[in-house]
Amino acid sequence: MKRIFDFAKSEIGRIALCLIFFISAVILEQTINEYISLAFYVIALIIAGGEVFVSAVKGIFRRDLLDEKFLMSIASVGAMIVGEWSEGVAVMLFFLVGETFEHRAVRKSRASIRALMDICPDEACVLTDDGEEMMDAEDVEIGSIIVIRPGERVPIDSVITFGSADIDTSSMTGEPLPVSAAVGSQLSSGYIVKNGLLHARTVRLSGDSAAARVLSLVENANESKSREESFITKFSRYYTPAVVIVALIVAILPPILGLKSLADSVYTALTFLVISCPCALVISVPMAFFGGIGGAASRGILFKGGNVFSKVAKVETVAFDKTGTITNGNFIVRDVITYGSSREQVLSMAASAEYASNHPIAECLKSVSDKIVPPRSVKEQAGYGVVAELYENTCAVGNIKLMKELSVDLSNVSRDLEGAVYVAIDGSLAGVITLADSVKPEAAEAIKNLRRLGVKHTAILSGDREENVKRVASTVGVDEADFALTPEQKYARLEELISSSKSTMYVGDGINDAPSLARADVGVAMGSMGQDSAIEAADMVVMIDNLSKLPEAVLIARKTINISWQNIIFALGTKGLILILGLLGFANMWLAVFADVGVAILAILNSMRALRAPKL
Amino acid sequence: MKLKYTITGLDCPNCASKLAGQMSDIEGIESAKINFLTEKLTVETSLEESAAFDLLSKKARDFEKGIKIEK
Repeated sequence: MKRIFDFAKSEIGRIALCLIFFISAVILEQTINEYISLAFYVIALIIAGGEVFVSAVKGIFRRDLLDEKFLMSIASVGAMIVGEWSEGVAVMLFFLVGETFEHRAVRKSRASIRALMDICPDEACVLTDDGEEMMDAEDVEIGSIIVIRPGERVPIDSVITFGSADIDTSSMTGEPLPVSAAVGSQLSSGYIVKNGLLHARTVRLSGDSAAARVLSLVENANESKSREESFITKFSRYYTPAVVIVALIVAILPPILGLKSLADSVYTALTFLVISCPCALVISVPMAFFGGIGGAASRGILFKGGNVFSKVAKVETVAFDKTGTITNGNFIVRDVITYGSSREQVLSMAASAEYASNHPIAECLKSVSDKIVPPRSVKEQAGYGVVAELYENTCAVGNIKLMKELSVDLSNVSRDLEGAVYVAIDGSLAGVITLADSVKPEAAEAIKNLRRLGVKHTAILSGDREENVKRVASTVGVDEADFALTPEQKYARLEELISSSKSTMYVGDGINDAPSLARADVGVAMGSMGQDSAIEAADMVVMIDNLSKLPEAVLIARKTINISWQNIIFALGTKGLILILGLLGFANMWLAVFADVGVAILAILNSMRALRAPKL
Repeated sequence: MKLKYTITGLDCPNCASKLAGQMSDIEGIESAKINFLTEKLTVETSLEESAAFDLLSKKARDFEKGIKIEK
């Protein structure tokens, strides 16, 4: 019995009941008695519209007259009064059917967004003195050891303490290829362990872990409104009252002029009221942006609000930080100039002398030499280099200042190799190693694609030396190379770029450039899920350190903006058309209800396209 | 103090923004935002947590049947 009652209360149940009474009423009206049929109509009306009437009355007490339920109630009751019984009920019935569909569409899209965001388990398997224990991830303290099995997701940001495995990072970074991880590797929550059992020490609470932060960014993203959104909100503020005034004129004017009967013109006016509901309009745009935000997040790109989409979509100028953004931030050996020794000898001597150092230059030297010998003794001279006792020799490795101090003869050095590493053996120059920051492999392609998407000007703003910046600029093909800039000069140049372009993007890694990230129309923090200041300042966060995400972001933004405009035009167009038809007397209430609810459903469905990111 | 709740049962974004507006009018609630799609209510308030929750729940119930706030 209870189940029957519950069914009768559900949306589908009410639609079915209402239909039964409605059809009976129509048959009765034709056959037996008008007044019995009226009773059936009224029952059907109450089944379908009871709740709507109640909230319409509540709306009156709130002095909130232009609410869609109020409009629907007026239309329905009005139609009953002018004698259009079946239409009066039909308005409510269709409204109910439409709302049912609309709720389903909203629920479905909420679910698909949530599925996209459901990237982190709620439970963690913690290793305790008594063995393994399943705990709520929220309760796991920093420094706990968690166990992650093959196929499982990492619940909390942690560092591997045991085991190695291939890791699928795609849900966090959008990077399709798995990466291999071993003891000491960092794991972000949301990563999937493909094979191998891991123990890891947690470094954050679950609420501060990467997946939770991504979620909260996405959930809060919609709060800052885009221009399209505010347009629609403003529009609906004038639109509904305007239609109500027109409806009043349509109801009163023709009977006064003797053109139409009062009943006919009131009917037309009521049709107007139904069309005037703003719901389809106000749902269409935020829905599109939400789809876009969800779709981009699944590809490792976080848009921090709807307003970012329009700025990214029309980006004209892109300025890059160099080190760590265009380049990897570590060095490669570019050239070895030798003076009497072999190339291998020079590299081996340099690497051995730097044996104990972990400076990026030392790391680079050690990575290219296969013969490294621990020196007998090393003297480090900060800001100059090292002097090491190697084999039977004294080997000095450092910059030109070190050479001058040791009075090494530099007359053979043909050009000024500032920033190069000089290697001297027993006081005479053996070789000069020139180093370069290595350019990210995808950089040139990404910049080419940005240009193909209509970016007019690209620039590198760097504090590095002219030679290095120019070389990187020509390798990746940017238009402008600004070198030796102080942070202030960098900011000033960015401001000039901003003022001369419609929309300027600044791409940085978040180290020392938070002001620039905040100042640019679109500040992009690259690969910096760990940097709070960068995430705070940026408008867009790219979770993986990969420049090809930039053209992808432009495409996603354009698609999303397109969908939102399609929705606006479609909603306004359909409503406008039906308004005109109504004015001319061609549209009836059935069509009007479709204009309200049908358009909203179609707009929601269209918005869901934004979840799928476009291909370049 | 910033409080976050899950709010369910809202039918349309228009109603969501209206309800948020009414919630901001409650004395002691400085601002209230409802994200219709994620069903999240965020309020900025000087009230005690439980007092704020009671006031907000009541407002939601009065607004329309079936709207619920949860922590």
